[in-house]
Amino acid sequence: MSGKGSGSLADQATGKSSANLSILGVALGILTAIGGFVDIGDLVTNAVVGSRFGLSLVWVTVLGVVGICIFAQISGRVAAVSGRATFEIIRERLGPRASLLNLLASFFINLMTLTAEVGGVALALQLASSVHYLAWVPVAGFAVWLVVWRVKFKILENVTGLLGLTLIVFAVCLFLLNPDWNHLFNQATRPAVPEGEAPATYWYYAVALFGAAMTPYEVFFFSSGAVEEKWTVKDLSQSRLNVLVGFPLGGFLSVAIAACAAVVLLPAGIGVTSLSQVVLPVAEAGGKLALAFVIVGVLAATFGAALETTLSSGYTLSQFFGWSWGKFRRPVRAARFHLVMILCLLVGMGVLATGVDPIKVTEYSVVFSAVALPLTYIPILIVANDPDYMGRHVNGRLLNFTALVFMVIILLAALAAIPLMLLSGAGA
Amino acid sequence: MILSDLLTAKVFDDAGVRLGRVIDGRFALDGRPEAEASLAQARLVGLLVSPHSRGSYLGYERRDLNAPWPIAKLERWRHRGSFLVLWEDLHSIDDDGVHLRAGFTRHDIRLG
Repeated sequence: MSGKGSGSLADQATGKSSANLSILGVALGILTAIGGFVDIGDLVTNAVVGSRFGLSLVWVTVLGVVGICIFAQISGRVAAVSGRATFEIIRERLGPRASLLNLLASFFINLMTLTAEVGGVALALQLASSVHYLAWVPVAGFAVWLVVWRVKFKILENVTGLLGLTLIVFAVCLFLLNPDWNHLFNQATRPAVPEGEAPATYWYYAVALFGAAMTPYEVFFFSSGAVEEKWTVKDLSQSRLNVLVGFPLGGFLSVAIAACAAVVLLPAGIGVTSLSQVVLPVAEAGGKLALAFVIVGVLAATFGAALETTLSSGYTLSQFFGWSWGKFRRPVRAARFHLVMILCLLVGMGVLATGVDPIKVTEYSVVFSAVALPLTYIPILIVANDPDYMGRHVNGRLLNFTALVFMVIILLAALAAIPLMLLSGAGA
Repeated sequence: MILSDLLTAKVFDDAGVRLGRVIDGRFALDGRPEAEASLAQARLVGLLVSPHSRGSYLGYERRDLNAPWPIAKLERWRHRGSFLVLWEDLHSIDDDGVHLRAGFTRHDIRLG
């Protein structure tokens, strides 16, 4: 999910500028946040859930979107006020041992997500070309590396974010499918475990959806992106707007994906096990043109997220060990940062080369994300309350209260994830 | 010696009774005017000793940090009974840990 570091783009690029340009900047930031919100985890999990549970888990997507809004906004503020990425402060404030737990959890989940995203890029290319995805894995990995190495931060973020907007075709196709809206509305507002599904499976996918919406790499990317783009306190309102408008609209895309699956795949009894099934409803409703759009969208979403997870692997490790990092430095000035990213890409490609199903990797990555969530989010909450870093911009009472309520949900999801996985046979 | 050698080391009083573990060091920046404080050499004032936990205090040793409330409460409970012992009150450091002088003082751990 991207959209994160999309600060005050146009107005920064052109200096302090007229109202027109800053409206453009706001619009661009929000559009990038929407288009970049969806990644392979959201695509797959929403389609799987839609095809099996209809819209009866939409409440989890809503919950997850609220959660990511809260914590992305907090970590963006920490970065803008302190001028430092959240993870650097966590390392400094909590000490090496407490933050090592945080690092390990986040880093491995991130690596798993990176693997899933690169696999997603390869699967999207397979859809477009009919060439087996394994042949595309090296191409995808190389392309990700090249962009991370050469392309400016703002460009890589905005291009993938804006192209990702083509996923709106899911929403368009939902209308073309002319569904029974009442029925969908009832599913969404009166959630129940559908007949033939075990409660453990329902709750397993609830945790997976929650993990997909709140994947830890998002906040690391978001706060590091804020440093890349040199946010200051002045950019706070823009960043808040990007998050609070962009992410919910991105969440709306997630719901559209689930709804398309609920309308087409659920009645036909098709369970989603491949990317072609994720886009099947779009092809059925909108034909070739819609299919072309959705392939571009999936490619942009997964490629964008592959860039973000690759960068996040470099960010987390460099920030923990105090190496210089960032796209704003030339690679030779941040050598270890770039080396980490290359190694992580190679590991991800190596895992995919074993022939493991990228869709399965995705499903596991979102569940393990849920397990790691407390380790990511508790430290962020602590540093956002630290007046030494935040001055008068520490969290307010209401925000702390809301964040703590979410922390309880996050803890419950984390504790329940593995038992539910065992009980439900990983959602089988 | 580096501080990592001392962190989590056991702390004993002069009678050999175990008091807890070193969870942090407390430093002072002095000898320079405030504007140049970052140039000052950090001076080790003493060690923070916690009887129940070897984990970090996560910053909640500061008096003005009370939010978010449940986490602050939890950290203060985890580190209840912890104290600051001045460097002058150390008798020796060996493989067993840190040994304090007879008549050492337990200083308040809180900052600010």
